Amino acid sequence: MSLWKYFRKGKILEKKQLDLLVALQDLDMMIEEISEMKRLGFSADREDELLKAREDLAAKIKKPLLYSYEKLKKRYKRAIVPVKEDNTCLGCFIRLPTSMSSIGRTDEEVIYCEGCGRILYWLT
Amino acid sequence: MTNEDLLIYFDEQLFLPDLLAKTKDDLFEEIVDQFVKVKYLKSREIVLEMLRQREKLGSTGVGKNVAIPHGRTTSASDIMIAFAKSKNGIEYDAIDGKPVNLIFMIIAPPQDENNMYLPLLGKMVEVLNKSKNRNKLMQAETFDEFMEILSKG
Repeated sequence: MSLWKYFRKGKILEKKQLDLLVALQDLDMMIEEISEMKRLGFSADREDELLKAREDLAAKIKKPLLYSYEKLKKRYKRAIVPVKEDNTCLGCFIRLPTSMSSIGRTDEEVIYCEGCGRILYWLT
Repeated sequence: MTNEDLLIYFDEQLFLPDLLAKTKDDLFEEIVDQFVKVKYLKSREIVLEMLRQREKLGSTGVGKNVAIPHGRTTSASDIMIAFAKSKNGIEYDAIDGKPVNLIFMIIAPPQDENNMYLPLLGKMVEVLNKSKNRNKLMQAETFDEFMEILSKG
Protein backbone atom coordinates (compact mmCIF):
# COMPACT_ATOMS: atom_id res chain seq x y z
CA MET A 1 0.00 0.00 0.00
CA SER A 2 1.45 3.37 -0.98
CA LEU A 3 1.89 5.97 1.69
CA TRP A 4 -0.83 8.23 0.40
CA LYS A 5 -3.32 5.36 0.37
CA TYR A 6 -2.35 4.68 3.96
CA PHE A 7 -3.11 8.26 4.84
CA ARG A 8 -6.44 8.12 3.05
CA LYS A 9 -7.56 5.01 4.83
CA GLY A 10 -10.24 5.82 7.31
CA LYS A 11 -9.88 9.53 6.73
CA ILE A 12 -13.01 10.25 4.76
CA LEU A 13 -14.35 13.44 6.17
CA GLU A 14 -17.00 15.89 5.23
CA LYS A 15 -15.87 18.76 3.04
CA LYS A 16 -16.44 21.23 5.83
CA GLN A 17 -13.58 19.88 7.94
CA LEU A 18 -11.03 20.79 5.28
CA ASP A 19 -12.63 24.23 4.92
CA LEU A 20 -12.37 24.72 8.68
CA LEU A 21 -8.69 23.75 8.62
CA VAL A 22 -8.02 26.22 5.81
CA ALA A 23 -9.86 28.97 7.71
CA LEU A 24 -7.78 28.11 10.79
CA GLN A 25 -4.54 28.45 8.84
CA ASP A 26 -5.73 31.80 7.43
CA LEU A 27 -6.39 32.98 10.99
CA ASP A 28 -2.99 31.74 12.17
CA MET A 29 -1.25 33.67 9.39
CA MET A 30 -3.15 36.79 10.41
CA ILE A 31 -2.18 36.38 14.06
CA GLU A 32 1.49 35.91 13.08
CA GLU A 33 1.54 39.20 11.18
CA ILE A 34 -0.19 41.45 13.73
CA SER A 35 2.97 43.32 14.66
CA GLU A 36 3.76 43.92 10.97
CA MET A 37 0.26 45.29 10.44
CA LYS A 38 0.73 47.73 13.30
CA ARG A 39 4.12 48.78 11.94
CA LEU A 40 2.49 49.60 8.61
CA GLY A 41 -0.01 51.82 10.41
CA PHE A 42 -3.07 49.57 10.31
CA SER A 43 -5.46 49.29 13.20
CA ALA A 44 -4.76 45.90 14.79
CA ASP A 45 -5.37 46.26 18.49
CA ARG A 46 -8.01 43.63 19.18
CA GLU A 47 -5.76 40.59 19.17
CA ASP A 48 -7.88 38.97 21.89
CA GLU A 49 -10.84 38.92 19.47
CA LEU A 50 -8.79 36.93 16.97
CA LEU A 51 -7.51 34.53 19.60
CA LYS A 52 -11.09 33.92 20.71
CA ALA A 53 -12.16 33.37 17.10
CA ARG A 54 -9.31 30.86 16.71
CA GLU A 55 -10.40 29.01 19.83
CA ASP A 56 -14.00 28.82 18.57
CA LEU A 57 -12.92 27.63 15.15
CA ALA A 58 -10.52 25.01 16.52
CA ALA A 59 -13.33 23.62 18.69
CA LYS A 60 -15.27 22.73 15.53
CA ILE A 61 -12.44 20.61 14.11
CA LYS A 62 -12.21 16.92 14.93
CA LYS A 63 -9.48 16.35 17.51
CA PRO A 64 -7.21 14.01 15.52
CA LEU A 65 -7.28 16.40 12.58
CA LEU A 66 -6.56 19.38 14.77
CA TYR A 67 -3.69 17.51 16.40
CA SER A 68 -2.28 16.67 12.99
CA TYR A 69 -2.63 20.32 11.90
CA GLU A 70 -0.87 21.63 15.01
CA LYS A 71 1.95 19.12 14.65
CA LEU A 72 2.52 20.02 11.00
CA LYS A 73 2.33 23.72 11.81
CA LYS A 74 4.99 23.32 14.46
CA ARG A 75 7.24 21.48 12.03
CA TYR A 76 6.70 23.48 8.85
CA LYS A 77 5.02 26.74 9.96
CA ARG A 78 2.32 26.12 7.31
CA ALA A 79 0.44 22.86 7.77
CA ILE A 80 -1.64 23.18 4.62
CA VAL A 81 -0.04 23.75 1.25
CA PRO A 82 -1.66 24.54 -2.07
CA VAL A 83 -1.44 22.24 -5.04
CA LYS A 84 -1.24 23.99 -8.36
CA GLU A 85 -2.66 23.04 -11.76
CA ASP A 86 0.31 20.85 -12.68
CA ASN A 87 -0.29 18.74 -9.57
CA THR A 88 2.79 19.92 -7.72
CA CYS A 89 2.80 20.17 -3.93
CA LEU A 90 3.93 23.72 -3.19
CA GLY A 91 5.48 22.54 0.06
CA CYS A 92 8.07 20.09 -1.28
CA PHE A 93 7.49 20.44 -5.04
CA ILE A 94 6.96 16.76 -5.78
CA ARG A 95 4.53 15.80 -8.52
CA LEU A 96 1.49 14.13 -7.05
CA PRO A 97 -0.21 11.13 -8.67
CA THR A 98 -3.15 12.01 -10.93
CA SER A 99 -5.36 9.60 -9.03
CA MET A 100 -4.69 11.58 -5.87
CA SER A 101 -5.66 14.87 -7.46
CA SER A 102 -9.03 13.64 -8.71
CA ILE A 103 -9.99 12.91 -5.11
CA GLY A 104 -8.22 15.96 -3.71
CA ARG A 105 -10.06 18.37 -5.99
CA THR A 106 -13.37 17.40 -4.43
CA ASP A 107 -12.20 18.61 -0.99
CA GLU A 108 -14.06 15.67 0.50
CA GLU A 109 -11.03 14.07 2.07
CA VAL A 110 -8.07 15.41 3.93
CA ILE A 111 -5.09 14.20 1.93
CA TYR A 112 -1.48 14.41 3.02
CA CYS A 113 1.47 14.85 0.67
CA GLU A 114 3.45 11.68 0.29
CA GLY A 115 6.63 13.74 0.04
CA CYS A 116 6.44 16.13 2.99
CA GLY A 117 3.37 14.95 4.89
CA ARG A 118 1.61 18.31 4.78
CA ILE A 119 -2.14 18.66 4.18
CA LEU A 120 -2.86 19.31 0.51
CA TYR A 121 -5.32 21.87 -0.79
CA TRP A 122 -6.10 21.87 -4.49
CA LEU A 123 -6.58 25.35 -5.87
CA THR A 124 -8.20 24.24 -9.13
CA MET B 1 9.31 48.94 -4.29
CA THR B 2 8.66 51.44 -7.07
CA ASN B 3 5.31 52.53 -8.44
CA GLU B 4 6.05 50.59 -11.62
CA ASP B 5 6.57 47.44 -9.54
CA LEU B 6 3.11 47.95 -8.10
CA LEU B 7 1.37 47.80 -11.46
CA ILE B 8 1.90 44.08 -12.06
CA TYR B 9 -0.44 43.24 -9.19
CA PHE B 10 -3.47 44.80 -10.87
CA ASP B 11 -5.73 43.27 -13.45
CA GLU B 12 -8.41 44.97 -15.51
CA GLN B 13 -10.85 42.25 -14.47
CA LEU B 14 -10.37 43.35 -10.87
CA PHE B 15 -11.06 47.01 -11.63
CA LEU B 16 -14.53 47.92 -10.31
CA PRO B 17 -15.06 51.66 -10.80
CA ASP B 18 -18.72 51.67 -9.80
CA LEU B 19 -19.52 49.41 -6.86
CA LEU B 20 -23.14 48.53 -6.24
CA ALA B 21 -22.58 47.61 -2.57
CA LYS B 22 -24.08 49.81 0.09
CA THR B 23 -22.67 48.12 3.18
CA LYS B 24 -19.24 46.90 4.22
CA ASP B 25 -20.23 43.25 4.04
CA ASP B 26 -21.85 43.69 0.61
CA LEU B 27 -18.65 45.39 -0.52
CA PHE B 28 -16.57 42.39 0.56
CA GLU B 29 -18.92 40.02 -1.24
CA GLU B 30 -18.99 42.05 -4.45
CA ILE B 31 -15.21 42.23 -4.70
CA VAL B 32 -14.53 38.65 -3.59
CA ASP B 33 -17.09 37.39 -6.12
CA GLN B 34 -15.07 39.08 -8.81
CA PHE B 35 -11.85 37.44 -7.57
CA VAL B 36 -13.61 34.06 -7.73
CA LYS B 37 -15.08 34.80 -11.16
CA VAL B 38 -11.66 35.47 -12.66
CA LYS B 39 -10.27 32.40 -10.86
CA TYR B 40 -7.81 34.06 -8.51
CA LEU B 41 -9.56 32.48 -5.54
CA LYS B 42 -10.93 29.04 -4.97
CA SER B 43 -13.32 29.53 -2.08
CA ARG B 44 -15.57 32.56 -1.70
CA GLU B 45 -16.69 31.64 1.82
CA ILE B 46 -13.21 31.02 3.22
CA VAL B 47 -11.94 34.36 1.93
CA LEU B 48 -14.98 36.26 3.19
CA GLU B 49 -14.46 34.68 6.58
CA MET B 50 -10.80 35.72 6.56
CA LEU B 51 -11.69 39.33 5.67
CA ARG B 52 -14.37 39.51 8.37
CA GLN B 53 -11.95 38.15 10.95
CA ARG B 54 -9.40 40.76 9.89
CA GLU B 55 -11.94 43.48 10.63
CA LYS B 56 -12.36 42.06 14.15
CA LEU B 57 -8.70 42.80 14.76
CA GLY B 58 -9.18 46.43 13.75
CA SER B 59 -10.78 48.30 10.88
CA THR B 60 -8.95 48.34 7.56
CA GLY B 61 -10.67 51.64 6.85
CA VAL B 62 -7.46 53.66 7.13
CA GLY B 63 -9.17 57.06 7.01
CA LYS B 64 -9.50 59.78 4.36
CA ASN B 65 -12.21 57.76 2.58
CA VAL B 66 -9.84 54.85 1.89
CA ALA B 67 -10.05 51.18 2.88
CA ILE B 68 -7.42 48.51 2.31
CA PRO B 69 -9.00 45.18 3.28
CA HIS B 70 -6.31 42.55 3.12
CA GLY B 71 -5.11 39.15 4.17
CA ARG B 72 -3.34 35.96 3.32
CA THR B 73 -5.44 32.97 2.43
CA THR B 74 -4.67 29.39 1.53
CA SER B 75 -7.40 29.76 -1.06
CA ALA B 76 -5.40 32.19 -3.23
CA SER B 77 -3.00 31.20 -5.97
CA ASP B 78 -1.26 34.54 -6.47
CA ILE B 79 -0.98 37.91 -4.84
CA MET B 80 -3.46 40.31 -6.46
CA ILE B 81 -5.10 43.64 -5.77
CA ALA B 82 -8.63 44.63 -6.68
CA PHE B 83 -9.56 48.28 -6.95
CA ALA B 84 -13.12 49.37 -6.33
CA LYS B 85 -14.79 52.72 -6.06
CA SER B 86 -18.05 53.75 -4.48
CA LYS B 87 -19.27 57.13 -5.67
CA ASN B 88 -21.67 57.58 -2.76
CA GLY B 89 -19.38 56.18 -0.09
CA ILE B 90 -19.92 53.20 2.22
CA GLU B 91 -20.09 53.18 6.01
CA TYR B 92 -17.03 51.14 6.97
CA ASP B 93 -16.30 51.85 10.63
CA ALA B 94 -13.10 53.53 9.44
CA ILE B 95 -10.62 54.92 11.96
CA ASP B 96 -11.75 58.50 11.25
CA GLY B 97 -15.44 57.54 11.06
CA LYS B 98 -15.74 58.73 7.46
CA PRO B 99 -17.42 56.67 4.73
CA VAL B 100 -15.16 54.91 2.26
CA ASN B 101 -14.98 55.66 -1.46
CA LEU B 102 -11.71 54.06 -2.54
CA ILE B 103 -11.11 50.39 -1.81
CA PHE B 104 -7.98 48.38 -2.51
CA MET B 105 -8.47 44.72 -1.59
CA ILE B 106 -5.18 42.85 -1.32
CA ILE B 107 -5.25 39.07 -1.23
CA ALA B 108 -2.10 36.98 -0.92
CA PRO B 109 -1.33 33.26 -0.80
CA PRO B 110 0.47 31.74 2.23
CA GLN B 111 3.79 31.68 0.42
CA ASP B 112 4.05 34.45 -2.13
CA GLU B 113 7.19 34.44 -4.22
CA ASN B 114 9.77 36.92 -2.89
CA ASN B 115 7.46 37.63 0.06
CA MET B 116 5.99 40.73 -1.55
CA TYR B 117 2.78 40.95 0.47
CA LEU B 118 3.98 43.21 3.30
CA PRO B 119 6.06 45.55 1.08
CA LEU B 120 3.04 45.79 -1.21
CA LEU B 121 0.75 46.76 1.65
CA GLY B 122 3.29 49.37 2.75
CA LYS B 123 3.52 50.78 -0.77
CA MET B 124 -0.25 51.06 -1.08
CA VAL B 125 -0.40 52.96 2.22
CA GLU B 126 2.32 55.31 0.96
CA VAL B 127 0.54 55.98 -2.37
CA LEU B 128 -2.84 56.53 -0.72
CA ASN B 129 -1.45 58.89 1.90
CA LYS B 130 -1.03 61.52 -0.81
CA SER B 131 -4.18 63.57 -1.25
CA LYS B 132 -3.43 64.27 -4.94
CA ASN B 133 -3.46 60.52 -5.61
CA ARG B 134 -6.74 60.03 -3.79
CA ASN B 135 -8.33 62.91 -5.67
CA LYS B 136 -7.17 61.60 -9.02
CA LEU B 137 -8.30 58.06 -8.24
CA MET B 138 -11.76 59.38 -7.45
CA GLN B 139 -11.88 60.72 -10.99
CA ALA B 140 -10.51 57.61 -12.73
CA GLU B 141 -13.13 55.96 -14.92
CA THR B 142 -11.04 53.56 -16.96
CA PHE B 143 -8.38 51.00 -16.11
CA ASP B 144 -5.83 52.86 -18.24
CA GLU B 145 -6.44 56.10 -16.36
CA PHE B 146 -6.16 54.22 -13.09
CA MET B 147 -2.84 52.63 -14.04
CA GLU B 148 -1.49 55.96 -15.22
CA ILE B 149 -2.26 57.53 -11.84
CA LEU B 150 -0.59 54.69 -9.96
CA SER B 151 2.48 54.72 -12.15
CA LYS B 152 3.07 58.37 -11.40
CA GLY B 153 1.80 58.34 -7.81
